[in-house]
Amino acid sequence: MKKIAIIYSFNTVKTSKIAEKIKDAFSSEDVDMVNAENITPEVFASYNNLILGVPTWFDGELPNYWDEFIPDLEDLDLKGKKIAIFGLGDQVNYGENFVDGLGIMATIIEECGGTVVGYTSTEGYRFEASQAQRRNQFAGLAIDYENQGTKNKERVAAWVEQLRKEFN
Amino acid sequence: MIKERRYHIKTTDKEILKKWYGLMTLGRALDDRAPNYLKQAIGWSYHAPYAGHDGIQLAIGQTFDKDHDHLFPYYRDMLTTLSAGLTANEIVLNGISKATDVAGGGRHMSNHFAKPEWNIHNSSSCTGNHPLQGVGTARAFKRYGVKGVVITSQGESSVSEGYVYEAINGASNEKLPVLFVFQDNGYGISVPKKDQTANRKVANNFSGFKNLKIFHCNGKDVFDSMNTMAEAKEYIEKNGTPAIVHANCVRIHSHSNSDRHELYRDDYEMNYVLAYDPLAKYRRLLIRYKRFTEEELLEIESQTKEIVKEAHKHGMAAPDPDPNSIYDFVIPEAYVSEKYPEGLHDFKGEPKKLIEGLNETLKAEFRHNPDTFIWGQDMANKEKGGIFNVSKGLQQEFGPERVFNAPIAEDFILGTANGMSRFSQKIRIVVEGAEFADYFWPAMEQLVDTSHDYWRSNGQFSPNITVRLASGGYIGGGLYHSQTIEGTLTTFPGIRVVYPSYADDAAGLLRTSMRSKGVTLFLEPKALYNSPKAAAPIPDDFEVPFGKAKVRKTGSDLSMITYGNTTHMCVEAAEKLEKEQGLSVEVIDLRSLSPLDEEAILATAKKTGKVLVVHEDKVFGGFGGEIAALVTEKAFEYLDAPVKRVGSPYTPVGFNRILEKAILPNTDRIVAAAIDLINY
Repeated sequence: MKKIAIIYSFNTVKTSKIAEKIKDAFSSEDVDMVNAENITPEVFASYNNLILGVPTWFDGELPNYWDEFIPDLEDLDLKGKKIAIFGLGDQVNYGENFVDGLGIMATIIEECGGTVVGYTSTEGYRFEASQAQRRNQFAGLAIDYENQGTKNKERVAAWVEQLRKEFN
Repeated sequence: MIKERRYHIKTTDKEILKKWYGLMTLGRALDDRAPNYLKQAIGWSYHAPYAGHDGIQLAIGQTFDKDHDHLFPYYRDMLTTLSAGLTANEIVLNGISKATDVAGGGRHMSNHFAKPEWNIHNSSSCTGNHPLQGVGTARAFKRYGVKGVVITSQGESSVSEGYVYEAINGASNEKLPVLFVFQDNGYGISVPKKDQTANRKVANNFSGFKNLKIFHCNGKDVFDSMNTMAEAKEYIEKNGTPAIVHANCVRIHSHSNSDRHELYRDDYEMNYVLAYDPLAKYRRLLIRYKRFTEEELLEIESQTKEIVKEAHKHGMAAPDPDPNSIYDFVIPEAYVSEKYPEGLHDFKGEPKKLIEGLNETLKAEFRHNPDTFIWGQDMANKEKGGIFNVSKGLQQEFGPERVFNAPIAEDFILGTANGMSRFSQKIRIVVEGAEFADYFWPAMEQLVDTSHDYWRSNGQFSPNITVRLASGGYIGGGLYHSQTIEGTLTTFPGIRVVYPSYADDAAGLLRTSMRSKGVTLFLEPKALYNSPKAAAPIPDDFEVPFGKAKVRKTGSDLSMITYGNTTHMCVEAAEKLEKEQGLSVEVIDLRSLSPLDEEAILATAKKTGKVLVVHEDKVFGGFGGEIAALVTEKAFEYLDAPVKRVGSPYTPVGFNRILEKAILPNTDRIVAAAIDLINY
């Protein structure tokens, strides 16, 4: 398996914790931790296996650091790249847009020719709507610290096992 | 691989990006500076900061085309109006309420930015009531077949107001070109969205409305806002049907300078809304994508500072409003009758009923003025023409474009009349304001708003509307069907209130109302529609000026001052007193309550020295109190007795005829009161 980049904002708290858990679940030498706050198209394009940490802000938006990178991202040819996305959301208080950020990013990645991997089942979650939902799956890993924090460990572990098979 | 988008950080012309940055920095500089004016006791005592709404406000203004569109901003729309074309000078003049403020010469609250000559309307501070007016303007667009879109802008909490639903329902039903923009910052002052409505995306409350497209965008992002507004406008232009743009924003500061958001927001929240600052984001994008250098942006910011300094200087040097001007533009000019300057005639034709007088005058005025419209509940369905068939035959003759039904929504009826008036000052509108006058209350917020439109715009906009209301009792109607509401209506400056008793006066006052500028509340005593005693010969072109009373009977011992249903009772009582007691009683039929014929009232009081004020409404709080006070103040020395009043007791009107009779005044009570007064 080729080198993996986990790209997320180093300024975050919960997203950073999940990123660390994911890194630990892989063997550390396989993973580069990359700060999304300073991401450039060159760095992004230099990996073929990527894991993006994309929380949802407000009523279903990308955080600024991702949103401001999108114009560059949209110019990249992501063909051949396998990209997994984990997103943080709150299915109780923001059930109308649960992990929308994950879904918005997945759509852009696919429009740019990338392959989104790491789909997971929506079973075990209760929410009204999500842009991350694809039939009965999320287009990545949905983490709900506020309401299902105790499930984080097992969800991350299972997801990493899945990614090992799906990555290049 | 950039998706097809009109506006994009990489492709939008640099000059456009520069213009936007200039507007955004200018807006923010003014927004940040506004509280200083209050601190220095200069003005701007109401300021609702827009910071956090920058993307969508820029986009609303840029989307607005002043040659074709109409814009109804709300009190947070500083950048919206700057972006639509107002200058920094004009913003400051409004903020510190100067005489040269283009919105209204300092008459309306600060932060209510407008420019009526560009169709950027002077809106109320009443949350979310201007969408009703916008729908009325869009109805005019459709009727007159003109190109353009009406844009109304409001906060998300305004959808807690019922009349917003009436507005959107009307636009959906009539298929009107209205773009409703919801600027969602999550709060109605301190009340969070969860306490307002169950949908966090409040626009989705309207997802079941037909002919309505809902767009969502990031109101903090310039490009998403610009693209969404452009798409929504194109959609409306193509389909002729309304749309909502729901823009997610943040409110970086407190609701206004009378609010302290630290009382209900924690540091975490205040920090993250700051992190979302749309202006900072736009600036970062300009640098990141190498569209501007740091030096270029600093140069624009420096120019902005100069513009703000100049606007401040200009504002401080501008004249204050003249205190002697307060009576200017209270009410627009009335039509002046040349042929009937006193509203009197000696025509001897066949008497016509009051309902005929109204019906024939409506038809005559519709023939006279092609820019006349009428609507209301029950207005037109086959042979049914109006609640009491007053408008019978109008739709058949003038068609459904000019004569049409309204939904059962009184506020909608009046609010859209206000809005349609805004399209052209040529337009004259008649509405049946409610099924019965005492059902008119839901329209009161629009009436109040409409009553001060002319004044607060400093004479720039006059709503030209005749509101017909079937009024009063004596029909066994009970609550909501037999009460009369002039006691309330006459408390509002800026509207006229007339109350005829006879067919000829009804016809003459209606003609004058329909030819005048301004708002006239036309109260029709419905018990008299078909009454032979109210019938009178009516000259075809009869006109009764406002504020001209009519002496129904001359006399020297006592004056009865009255209007509406009780005019006939007073005439009967006077005749009875003359016949049975040998008394000479003068009866004054006011016809107009506002304006009031003070001259006629004082003349009769001075003549007889004894005044009996008679009306159907309650004595306590009734309009008669004003007449009594007027006579006491200005003719006291001429009085031989206290002014006496006859009216209803301070109760509702009962339904059972026995109760109604016990409540409403009648001839016997008037006679008894007159005898008391004579014997004083």
